[in-house]
Amino acid sequence: MDSKIEKIYVPMTETGFYILFCLQTPQHGYGITQKVKEMTEGEIVISAGTMYGTLTKMAKDGLIHFYSEEDKRKLYQISDLGREVLELEIKRIARLYKNSQIKL
Amino acid sequence: MKKKFFRFFTIADWLEEETWLREQSKKGFKLCKMNPPAGYVFEKVEPEDVIYKLEYRNATAEFDCNQMYKDYGWEYCGTCFGWNYYRKPASQINSENEAELYSDKESKIAMLDRIIKTRLLPLLCLFFCCVIPNMTKLIRLSSRTAMLSDYILSGIFIALFIIYVYLILHCSSKLRKIKKDLE
Repeated sequence: MDSKIEKIYVPMTETGFYILFCLQTPQHGYGITQKVKEMTEGEIVISAGTMYGTLTKMAKDGLIHFYSEEDKRKLYQISDLGREVLELEIKRIARLYKNSQIKL
Repeated sequence: MKKKFFRFFTIADWLEEETWLREQSKKGFKLCKMNPPAGYVFEKVEPEDVIYKLEYRNATAEFDCNQMYKDYGWEYCGTCFGWNYYRKPASQINSENEAELYSDKESKIAMLDRIIKTRLLPLLCLFFCCVIPNMTKLIRLSSRTAMLSDYILSGIFIALFIIYVYLILHCSSKLRKIKKDLE
């Protein structure tokens, strides 16, 4: 992986993580927001501008790619590079969680 | 019935502009279109509480996501100098982020940086490369020739100089404050 990509995306913002995580199956912007809202019991609601900005940036950096268009809605899906980044993040968060359980 | 308003907002006053547009809608004025640089056309309708939101995008950037914004309940009302205008009735809003176009700190700061890079910096360039050199040149010229036309021209540039100083100070201090509040 490009060190530049690693520098930008590891660690990732919470918004970025959820978007990339949801794109393991093809989805459009509003669909992702709905899914994240459901997963976090309404705690995280990603707005339109933030969603558009993140999708555009991730597509430009090759983490996701355009999948298809349905009713004027663009669907995106995670790429191999995106999977690599996501895996790194999941490992990092798992370690964080594991260490947070230790009593000092 | 259409009504025209004139009101000038700088590149750092979009929050005030949003509040002003919301107040107009509560009074029954619905925004129809913007006439640059400071004109607005409203239509008289039933008063309704409507949230207006502005976002700045670089005018040259490719932008085709109105369908996505529509999914989120935002109605597109036009664009003006790189600013996109959206509205949504307050009755449709159930949580804080549904009333926002940007939901996290990073994307809010990214918009601020776009404004600074593509609007504030060109303003500074124009000020230092055009307004100041022309003004000093004309002042020197008019003191030598003592011609009325040269006095008028240097007067115009002095006025421009004052406007630019005000705009630059106002915008940079305000953008800095907005950024500080976010961090």
